[in-house]
Amino acid sequence: MAKDIEISTAEAQFIVGALKERYRLDGRSFDEFREVKIKFGNEYGDVMVEMGETKVHVRISCQVTQPYEDRPFEGLFLISTESTPMAGPQFENGTNTSGDEVLISRIIEKAIRRSGALDVEGLCIVAGSKCWAVRANVHFLNCDGGFIDASCIAVIAGLMHFKKPDITVHGEKVIVHPLDEREPVPLGILHIPICVTFSFFNPQDTEENIKGESNQEIAIIDATLKEELLRDGVLTVTLNKNREVVQVSKAGGLPMDALQLMECCHKAYSIIERITDQIINQIKEDYKEREKYKALLSSENARDAS
Amino acid sequence: MSRLEIYSPEGLRLDGRRWNELRKFDASINTHAHLSDGSSYLEQGNNKIFTLVKGPREPSQRSQLDQSKATLNVTVNITRFSKFERSKASHKNERRTLEIQTSLVRTFEKNLMLQNYPRTVIDIEIHVLQQDGGLVGSLINGITLACIDAGIAMYDYISGVSVGLYDTVPLLDINSLEENAMSCATLGVVGKTEKLSLLLVEDKIPLDRLENVLAIGIAGAHRIRDLMDQELRRHAQKRIANSSKK
Amino acid sequence: MSEVITIVKGKGSFQQTPLSNDSRYESDDEDVYMSDSEAQQNNEDLAKSQIVTPGELVTDDPIWMRGHGTYFLDNMTYSSVAGTVSRVNRLLSVTPLRGRYSPETGDHIVGRIAEVGNKRWKVDIGGKQHAVLMLGSVNLPGGILRRKSESDELQMRSFLKEGDLLNAEVQSLFQDGSASLHTRSLKYGKLRNGLFCQVPSSLIVRSKNHTHNLPGNVTIVLGVNGYIWLRKTSKMDLARDSPMAGSSGSANGPTGATSLNPTQNVSITRLEEESSWQIYSDENDPDISNSMRQTVTRYANVIKALAYCEIGITQERIISAYEASMAYPNIGSLIERENMEALGADIINAEKMRGNGV
Repeated sequence: MAKDIEISTAEAQFIVGALKERYRLDGRSFDEFREVKIKFGNEYGDVMVEMGETKVHVRISCQVTQPYEDRPFEGLFLISTESTPMAGPQFENGTNTSGDEVLISRIIEKAIRRSGALDVEGLCIVAGSKCWAVRANVHFLNCDGGFIDASCIAVIAGLMHFKKPDITVHGEKVIVHPLDEREPVPLGILHIPICVTFSFFNPQDTEENIKGESNQEIAIIDATLKEELLRDGVLTVTLNKNREVVQVSKAGGLPMDALQLMECCHKAYSIIERITDQIINQIKEDYKEREKYKALLSSENARDAS
Repeated sequence: MSRLEIYSPEGLRLDGRRWNELRKFDASINTHAHLSDGSSYLEQGNNKIFTLVKGPREPSQRSQLDQSKATLNVTVNITRFSKFERSKASHKNERRTLEIQTSLVRTFEKNLMLQNYPRTVIDIEIHVLQQDGGLVGSLINGITLACIDAGIAMYDYISGVSVGLYDTVPLLDINSLEENAMSCATLGVVGKTEKLSLLLVEDKIPLDRLENVLAIGIAGAHRIRDLMDQELRRHAQKRIANSSKK
Repeated sequence: MSEVITIVKGKGSFQQTPLSNDSRYESDDEDVYMSDSEAQQNNEDLAKSQIVTPGELVTDDPIWMRGHGTYFLDNMTYSSVAGTVSRVNRLLSVTPLRGRYSPETGDHIVGRIAEVGNKRWKVDIGGKQHAVLMLGSVNLPGGILRRKSESDELQMRSFLKEGDLLNAEVQSLFQDGSASLHTRSLKYGKLRNGLFCQVPSSLIVRSKNHTHNLPGNVTIVLGVNGYIWLRKTSKMDLARDSPMAGSSGSANGPTGATSLNPTQNVSITRLEEESSWQIYSDENDPDISNSMRQTVTRYANVIKALAYCEIGITQERIISAYEASMAYPNIGSLIERENMEALGADIINAEKMRGNGV
């Protein structure tokens, strides 16, 4: 990423210098996650996540299709992450094969799809011939660092919020009921993985990093774009509330002490706990908001019940 | 496939190893003296990998030229016949391959003294002839050996190994049967330190067990470093004996 | 088993850093990969010559100045390559076992033009970067005193173009280690009438003279960078050798060069050569005989054999290997593996014998 954005030497020195004094440009402390704003759209599975200036929009959709031959009892789940120049000049149109873009999409894929966050067996309609294909389209709208974290929150929040149309199966015949005809059904979410990204800076020489024992490397959580451009290494940890490490990715970069990495994982846990609660609460509130007039408009009455 | 007993109650794994044993580790360097500046052939269990390092050399494209340091390129060629079943499609542009390449570049960027070779490129070419689990770790070992053979200055060895977690037992240096059956972590350890240059966990591991997994991985990687060191010294000894004839 | 453990001694301190005690395992468990004898041998070797590998502590004595192949933190000096430690006065450096040629001022090298640029040629010399040959550092037709004009800039390709081979001297080094060349001597210039071959640069020892006339009317240019040019001996080559008559090269062989030496004509020949365009000619001499070609090829294969055995390449060795190679009438068979090994062993043995005789 960020081939076209270059940061001036003076600014780079200032930012790294400030970090050495334990200050960040936006006044956050080193292990402070930016406030996550989650907004739900009109329809189910339409989520916008904002973290500072970073904006990610996710739309979940589904359609009936044929399952893979080797997995007749499973539905399909796809995450497509496409970055366009809209997010920032560092992204090219069409070619999503540069190092960072591949890493972003792979990590999101591993965190959510491969970890089995979505119950794909629940998407099966008729074994071997019909199933739901759920698709998460991730749109990066603006980039100020933390794409992975933001899009992971957005995708999982989207999946939790989404409801697929209800169906009735008569043998091979399947009836899909429109949303206004029958109450849609939510997807089966098995666990809620959340990513937390740490950025590492080396305040000293490389020699000290390799041979020294001082372990002075700086680790900050949820870097902004400028910090991302300057960092020496990056670690993305994905955890869920069951204290399971879903995925860890430290693809090279500054060598870090194993104990420090463990410490990062523990720090990340407290953050994901908070974010998980936030997502659950916000979805509850959103549903409540939607059902505000439900009681009022219901034709149900006491007589029917008897 | 019938359910395999990954780890027997007696403490033996599918291939007869114990939990803390590495696979056979056979390395040789300078295998392609004419084709490249440095080369290695590595057998880690059934992983068979050729690594060629070409450079530092003049960049073929202007865009690769960096005034301050060398540009590092890594290409991984996973052959179609490298697994039990021949794969129909080439692995060249798979996301997984691209991810591995990027990870390897980032791992070695920080370890090679690229600032010593400004305005040049170093191309690392890897051919995976056979794979049997723990691929990324083996690739790291292969590159380390080949780069040392090429005489490229580096801060320290990086040795790679993967560790699985079977229930509560960490299993060192897993093969593909074990890899498919459980979650695992891949580590790239710098020299004899406990610093991790690379850490990949691709499946669920309980947070409280991770430390255990890392510990055994680091110990295994140190062991691999020693094995690589031995091979290098053996080779060096041979060369020096030869050159004393000069 | 005990030997196995001692190998691991290196920097034991790291091994003991407590991370998690229960998973520390005994290293005895994993010794299957290595026979005890091997380990033993390794230990002895360590003591004999100091081989270091990357990341290894070379010394913790602060008096050493740190040279190539090392890096340091505080007082500790570590190796950054695999090689041997060399200590010159107070300078500590590690010489890598292998590696690309790194030019030094005064090196006589053979190179290939890779690129024609603005008033300069880029020359591939087998190093990390291409060397630069400035238009101002070459002799142009018309003599040394001629001034370079704009028309020369425009017709640089008529002197040297991409793919041309030349020999030159390293004039100076740039900050980043790349070389600037010059060909301001009649020894240097475009190469023709011959065959190119390449060996690892570490096999060629820097010496006073890198051009030798060999028996069989062949001249060799041993570039320090491992690029070698074999050609038919020209008048120039003969002239060069004449002042030091009886030098080893010409004295050795039966068809030695000195015998046909036209001493008087030297200066005239030189003038002729200088002033003509011939020094930049692309044409090979028309009178290169078949037997000549075969001799050149034989030399090339002999050199390949020496390189295969990793024997340092010197004039004496080439000549004695050439003479030994006469046992193989088929030149092509010289680069079969057994023959190369046999040839290499011959040379080493012959030298040992001579050494004992003295």
